[in-house]
Amino acid sequence: MEFLAVVMLAVFTAGYLVLAGGDVGVGMALPWLGRGQDERRLVIASFAPFFLGNEVWLVAAVGIVVGAFPGLEHRLLEDLSPVAVVLVVGWVVRDMGLWLRGRVDGAGWRGGCDGAVVAGSWALALGWASLLGSLVVSGAGGGEGMNAGSVLGLPLAALFVWHGVGFARWRLPEAMAARLRGVPARYGVSAVVLAAAPVAAGAGLPWSGAAAQGSGLALTAVAAVVLLPLLAVVQGLVWWTFRGRVQAPSYL
Amino acid sequence: MSGDALMLARVQFALTAGTHFLFVALTLGLATLVALMQTRATVWGGAGGSGEAVHARMTRFWGQLYVVNYAVGIVTGLVMEFQFGLNWAGMSRTVGGVFGAPLALETIVAFFVESTFLGLWIFGWERLNRWVHLALIWVVTVTAYLSAYFVLVANGWLQRPVGYEMRDGRARLTDVGALLGNPPAVLAFGHVLFGGLLTAGFFVAGVSAFHLRRRAGETEFFRRSMRVGLVTVVASIVPVVVLGGAQFADLQPTKLGGDDADAAVAAFTARFGPDDYRPPGLSEAGEALMMSMWALMAVLAVAALVKLPFGRWLERGRVFHVVMIAAIPLPYVAMLAGWVFREVGRQPWMVYGVLKTRDAVSDTGAVAAAVSFAVFTVLFAVLVGVNVWLLARFARRGPGGVGLGVPAGAAPPSPALSPTL
Repeated sequence: MEFLAVVMLAVFTAGYLVLAGGDVGVGMALPWLGRGQDERRLVIASFAPFFLGNEVWLVAAVGIVVGAFPGLEHRLLEDLSPVAVVLVVGWVVRDMGLWLRGRVDGAGWRGGCDGAVVAGSWALALGWASLLGSLVVSGAGGGEGMNAGSVLGLPLAALFVWHGVGFARWRLPEAMAARLRGVPARYGVSAVVLAAAPVAAGAGLPWSGAAAQGSGLALTAVAAVVLLPLLAVVQGLVWWTFRGRVQAPSYL
Repeated sequence: MSGDALMLARVQFALTAGTHFLFVALTLGLATLVALMQTRATVWGGAGGSGEAVHARMTRFWGQLYVVNYAVGIVTGLVMEFQFGLNWAGMSRTVGGVFGAPLALETIVAFFVESTFLGLWIFGWERLNRWVHLALIWVVTVTAYLSAYFVLVANGWLQRPVGYEMRDGRARLTDVGALLGNPPAVLAFGHVLFGGLLTAGFFVAGVSAFHLRRRAGETEFFRRSMRVGLVTVVASIVPVVVLGGAQFADLQPTKLGGDDADAAVAAFTARFGPDDYRPPGLSEAGEALMMSMWALMAVLAVAALVKLPFGRWLERGRVFHVVMIAAIPLPYVAMLAGWVFREVGRQPWMVYGVLKTRDAVSDTGAVAAAVSFAVFTVLFAVLVGVNVWLLARFARRGPGGVGLGVPAGAAPPSPALSPTL
């Protein structure tokens, strides 16, 4: 059961980093991908239909930690609380920028929301980079909580930009995507790297000591296994519905 | 752990959960009403006729208010989920093995599907077959209810821990059925479900009253909306109080007072040593406030029942319109007061009779607790301010200013072009 729960946690975390990593990266690169507010609205429209369905992978991953590995909660959130706070605040700021941008017609408002999306995306990516770095170093015996990896991991945030540019290349209108021709970004390659990151970071964690005792572990793991195919189908439905290049702004 | 940091963590959670719930209450009820409106629009659309247009427009107008409201619910919910780990590590260490399971189910089974389908609903308006699009909003509604149920299973376990055993100082889940069927969870779910409908009913009726009072056109649109709101209020006002009252059978003895409370205090003192085992007076104040709000709403529901059979009568009556506008906050006040009664009344326990609140808080230290408190409080204040302003703005603007469901590439409707900042 424990093994199953670890696998599920890896799948959901990797799912988050691969799927949401793309839209976080696009958010980070928003000022470069779109020139002017109209173009930026198109850039946001490129991932708008996906971002809700992407971030839920992380919510579910946190759910698996809470349900199956309560002993890890304090290690991930309490010991690394500065990183966790940056991550959550960045997430909230970014989402609010996205939700609010299209709701008021004013250049200042849109500029402020674009700023929130960019700043929030960077905070989110740097938070993840620091979290992954801390876990890798701590897994190698470098001490729990904040450690050298918390700082050394920060450059990993570039992975998100790389992945985001790869996403933008096939979602943006031809003319805008053409500007990215020279960037060596391949969505498939960066996806594999991002999917491997949580596996590397989680390898050194003490899973057995952290697992829930009793039926809580089984309930969580089985629910995740049973629902995963359905969730994957739903995700596929989203991708199929919004396939192809974006041509017009969306609700956001 | 200093007392100040404990208080900060408690107030922070109260603010987060309170803010979250204000938005969730409307989300739950309004999702249902929007789903019903869209059902009507979709079914009528097949037959043609003039009714089709108004129901489709109602779906988009109330749907947009729903989406604006949902966004705050979602981000406050994220912060709440993380706060368990950030501020209440003692809880995850001791009882996480039980308390975490319903939260995990909420994220995987309910929220995941709810949010993904909502994205499809918002952005797929003109792309998807209309029956598929209708099915999406129903999935969103059902999973929103499922989500509320699982969260209340977690909360119900804090109120009345069942189906577990303590081994080596940690709780382990032994009976999943007892956990999922815990009366404080199941009854509270029904209570919250009808409370959400009541919130949405008063919201829809109040906004409609605002427009009917102005007599600025759209009379049919808002007469129909007013009827939807009032019917919802009338239908929910009795179930909400019945399901609330039914929970008293399983209420904690210290919350109720009387001889049972004395016996419970004696038992706790014998087991856990002397402490203040009676809940703060704030709990009773919450109970009284909730019930008086219900009494006010019940009076309005009776008035609504008298008016409802006469459609044209809903368009007139300035006093009636002003009262309905003023009534929008009533269910919100009742909801928050109810949560104060439920949660403050459980103190000093985090998990009743198992884990005290002060033993559940994290060891983050006073500075970290203060920083986290300040950051999230400021963030939330801004969020709530902006979103309440937006809700009011879109509600005032009426169906002409809706951006939701506008075909891709089309210019936004003219009122949206008027700069207001």
